[in-house]
Amino acid sequence: MSVGRRSSATERLSVLVAVLSVPAFTGMWELVARSGIVNTVLFPPPSTVAVAVLEWIRSGQFFADLMASLARVAAGFAIGAAGGIVLGILTGRFRLVSSLLSPLFHILRPIPPIAFVPIVILWFGLSETGKLFLVVWGVFFTVWLATHIGVQKVDHGLIRAAQMLGTPQSQMLWEIVLLGALPYITVGLRTAVSISFYTLVAAELAGAFAGIVYRIEIAQQNMQTGQVMGGLAALGLLSFVADRSFAILAERAVWWR
Amino acid sequence: MTPRLLRPDQPLRLVDTYPPSAAARQAIIRVEDLSIVFDAPSGQVIAVDRVSLAVAQGEFVSIVGPSGCGKSTLLNAMAGLERPFGGQVLMAGEAMRKPRPEIGMVFQQPHLFPWKSVRRNIAHGPRALGKPKAEALRIADGLIEMIGLTRFASAYPHTLSGGMQQRVAIARALANQPSVLLMDEPFGALDAQTRAVMQDNLLELRERINATIVFVTHDIDEAILLSDRVLIMSAGPGRILRDLQVSLPRPRSSAIVAEAAYLALKRDCLDLIRSEGRRAFEQMEIKT
Repeated sequence: MSVGRRSSATERLSVLVAVLSVPAFTGMWELVARSGIVNTVLFPPPSTVAVAVLEWIRSGQFFADLMASLARVAAGFAIGAAGGIVLGILTGRFRLVSSLLSPLFHILRPIPPIAFVPIVILWFGLSETGKLFLVVWGVFFTVWLATHIGVQKVDHGLIRAAQMLGTPQSQMLWEIVLLGALPYITVGLRTAVSISFYTLVAAELAGAFAGIVYRIEIAQQNMQTGQVMGGLAALGLLSFVADRSFAILAERAVWWR
Repeated sequence: MTPRLLRPDQPLRLVDTYPPSAAARQAIIRVEDLSIVFDAPSGQVIAVDRVSLAVAQGEFVSIVGPSGCGKSTLLNAMAGLERPFGGQVLMAGEAMRKPRPEIGMVFQQPHLFPWKSVRRNIAHGPRALGKPKAEALRIADGLIEMIGLTRFASAYPHTLSGGMQQRVAIARALANQPSVLLMDEPFGALDAQTRAVMQDNLLELRERINATIVFVTHDIDEAILLSDRVLIMSAGPGRILRDLQVSLPRPRSSAIVAEAAYLALKRDCLDLIRSEGRRAFEQMEIKT
């Protein structure tokens, strides 16, 4: 019993420390920045960052930037994930399709999407298509590989049972195989959420007219370090929220567990 | 590369005591000179060696043998899941090349679809065959009642015990109203108590459905209790050694194990299996 009490006391302490962690860190930052040890132009205190962020929101630019970035990530993720799942099912299930596509995909997959920025600018200029291409590229290979592996790990007994019950080929693919591989696919999709934000950075740095990373770059050119840090915080928060919501969504996707 | 044991000049060896009687003429299952060969790292392995057998309509036949004797492979061939190397399997006169919905199968593991409730697992077969949803669910509900799992109709498989899961698997196989039910050690993964209950359930079930059942097991008690005939298989390569008629009265229950006729039959089986096991073991020793 005493063990139980002690562990619950430890638990309460760690909750308290966890709650205080970010405020304490922010307070330290404020103190260091204001103490004059560092150059506040390059290293502004959190209060300056907060003012910059408030101004960003009040001007209405924040909302426009957020929407521009979100639209790129969402569209790129949807297209890349859909393509990755469909081709992953086909390469995972059919030897011949795998022989045709897997070697190609394995060569292209390790190339970091960011390395495609120069050629994408040549191909698509500063258009939205180029940005979409980069995000799709990053997402597709991650989801394809997870699906391909997941399909091969589907319990063979389930497939045999389905065969014995007269399951037609299309239902076999899009129900038994897809749902059998779903636990693997959701892991791939979650990784792809982070990847879509990495590639968003590359896409917007390559040249854009709105977007959170675009705003960071503009602020940097104007030496508005508070705005730069505010932009970074916004990007971090956005990516965090996306990852957490996806985790919750993924848990529901595998609804039978 | 033809395996050595499959030379065409060798005489065909059919099941020795197999009676080519009335039962054979109206057989629903005919296995004719079936051989199945696997590719293994050490070369080709003969899993089933020129086996012939026939099962009459409505018969309950068990195939008994040591693990690795090819009894599951033989059953998979009857299911259309395994391609013959030689010979053929005829189900109602038609050669089995791929699974057919009128041939049901229950595996050692339940292999239920984890994303479907009990009800939808059972309705899967009728749905796959194009029956309307309402009808498929009606069939499922009837079977759920029969296996006594009405309370668990909307439960997901992982919430059920092993015995319950296997009951669902049996109901799922029955939902397509198969004329033949193949069972591959269906109670092999269950504990002794559950297994005994399941055996009694299957005996009862059998009185209510008129499917022909082929049941693979390594448990002689189980085979004698359930079957009309017991086929004893030998290992390396898989052959049928003996075809024993079980003429114990029905309906049976597990109480049968105390009867003299039962014990005599069991002693026969055990003697045969023991001498065969010794031979196979010694053969293995010589090989290695």
